[in-house]
Amino acid sequence: MKLKQFLTVASIAVALSLPVAASANEGGVALKHAEIDVTDQAQLRRGLTVFTDVCMGCHSAKYVTYKGLMDYPELALSREEVDDLRGDKPLASGMITDLSPADAEVSYGKVPPDLSLIVNARRGGANYVYSILTGFEHDPSGKVPDGNFNEYFPGNRIAMPDPLSWLGHDEDETKELEEQAHDVAAFLTFIGDPHQNQRHAIGKYVMIFLLLLTIILYLLKKEVWKDVKH
Amino acid sequence: MLEKMMKSKLFGWIDERTGAEAIIKSQLTEYEVPKNLNYMWNFGSLALLVLVLQILTGIFLAMYYKPSAALTYGGYTVAFDSVERIMRDVNFGWLIRYMHAVGASAFFVVVYMHIGRGLYYGSYKGPRELLWIIGVVILLIMQGAAFFGYLLPWGQMSFWGATVITNLFGALPVIGEFLQEVLRGGFAVGDPTLNRFFSLHYLFPLLLVAIVGGHVHALHVVHSNNPTGLDVHAGKSTIPFHPYYTIKDAFGVGVFLLFYCYVVFFNPQMGGYFIEVDNYVPANNLQTPPHIAPVWYLTPWYTILRSFESKLIGVLAMGASLGILFLLPFLDRSKVRSARYRPVYRQMVYLFFVTVIILGYCGHSAPTPTLKLIGQISTAYYFAFFLLLPFVPMFEKTKPLPEEI
Repeated sequence: MKLKQFLTVASIAVALSLPVAASANEGGVALKHAEIDVTDQAQLRRGLTVFTDVCMGCHSAKYVTYKGLMDYPELALSREEVDDLRGDKPLASGMITDLSPADAEVSYGKVPPDLSLIVNARRGGANYVYSILTGFEHDPSGKVPDGNFNEYFPGNRIAMPDPLSWLGHDEDETKELEEQAHDVAAFLTFIGDPHQNQRHAIGKYVMIFLLLLTIILYLLKKEVWKDVKH
Repeated sequence: MLEKMMKSKLFGWIDERTGAEAIIKSQLTEYEVPKNLNYMWNFGSLALLVLVLQILTGIFLAMYYKPSAALTYGGYTVAFDSVERIMRDVNFGWLIRYMHAVGASAFFVVVYMHIGRGLYYGSYKGPRELLWIIGVVILLIMQGAAFFGYLLPWGQMSFWGATVITNLFGALPVIGEFLQEVLRGGFAVGDPTLNRFFSLHYLFPLLLVAIVGGHVHALHVVHSNNPTGLDVHAGKSTIPFHPYYTIKDAFGVGVFLLFYCYVVFFNPQMGGYFIEVDNYVPANNLQTPPHIAPVWYLTPWYTILRSFESKLIGVLAMGASLGILFLLPFLDRSKVRSARYRPVYRQMVYLFFVTVIILGYCGHSAPTPTLKLIGQISTAYYFAFFLLLPFVPMFEKTKPLPEEI
């Protein structure tokens, strides 16, 4: 197999594997698209506010420390802002909800999952989170009580009661609620892999370096092989 | 440069005590390789590269990883927490871990290409039977190492994957139950399993290094096959390994690293193929995930297992599908090596490659009756490919071979 032939086959194989990978969640419903930008500090900070004001009533993000909120350049909160958020919790503590697991069990029937990795742990990622937050509806069959019926949740019956009060909101609130859902989806995507922006930034230089190196190696190979007759 | 170095006084001193010059000559500068090898011959050196990458990144990961299933806050465990600590708090821990996780898949990509090349060009045929057999041993150890390693993050897929696979051993008669308990260190997958899998995950690469050494040694005794499959005569149609193939392999490394680094830096989960979505959920022995599938590189064999109603027969078939690879050099009776000159074998081996991909797809997807049937047909062909080989030379008209490559 010649080099060109091989590269063609390899790129086709890679190209074919990508669309298969990006399929929807197993519920079968097509997810809504979340408009997120994990490099946008303003969006991430707004998302953090939604997270601390709404989500943290029940959920934790144990792998994200208060110190991390200052140290990650994407958030870069000031010491005062972090002190306001953490209360008397230590700086090195994870963002843990005040709702005890036992109380959560009594109120909701299950312990709410930790959200540090929720975007990585769900098919559809940020789109899934956004769709769930804006997917509360009246059950068409009337069996599931309002606030527990979600279009995008597998099986439709969700234990989390409508956190953004999406169900029955006024028309003019739609934009604001959607923005809150976008922002918190962006924040959760960021904390799922807090070094992703650094990774992409370094990756660009790695690829450029490797491309140059590979070209040089190819020319060197041609030079060394020029006397070999086939 | 190498020649200049070899003339130095220091090298002379070393040479007197080790015979280094003779080794370099016989293995590199005077080691004869056919001049017509195509780029499919690059995957051997790439496999060696990935093995080294896996060992280096693995050593650093083991400095921070903690193999313990003790529970921590939120239903997580010490093991899961330590992996997240590597991803978040250890300097460039994310890079080392993504390199290792992507490296596992990359290892299988290059090794499967390497094996496919051997199949297509008849590299398993005499006098290279032992070379092939050692290679199959390497494949089995790799699959074991990958399986042990996949348990370590202690996510849902780690836990349930290990449960399903160790269950298989329980299906064997007489020793099955004993074997299963020894593997698990108890009656169910738990903390003792994690500890012994970690130990074995560190042991297996050591075995790999030793056996890869044997593989390379065996290669250097019988020398490389080539795309024509002809025996070559030293000097006329061969060139020394160094510098010709060192530079060609180096170029191959460049191309490989472009693909590998692209995935590591821009798409390390590969849409759930390299790191599965469910493995970001902590292991929970009370909640089975909706669909349990091994990572892509083990799915062809998983489909063979699932194609039989009886678990025992399934397990035996899966064992046989790997074991039959050992017999390949003796099943193929054709005098001609390369598929280039074997029209029937050529069609058979292409179909075999497609079959393995289909088997892999079936094993990765949630089971449906249609997929099961497709899997069964593919399983039948998988075995038929090997069992037909002794009979193919009886009717196959091989094309005329060239005199010299």
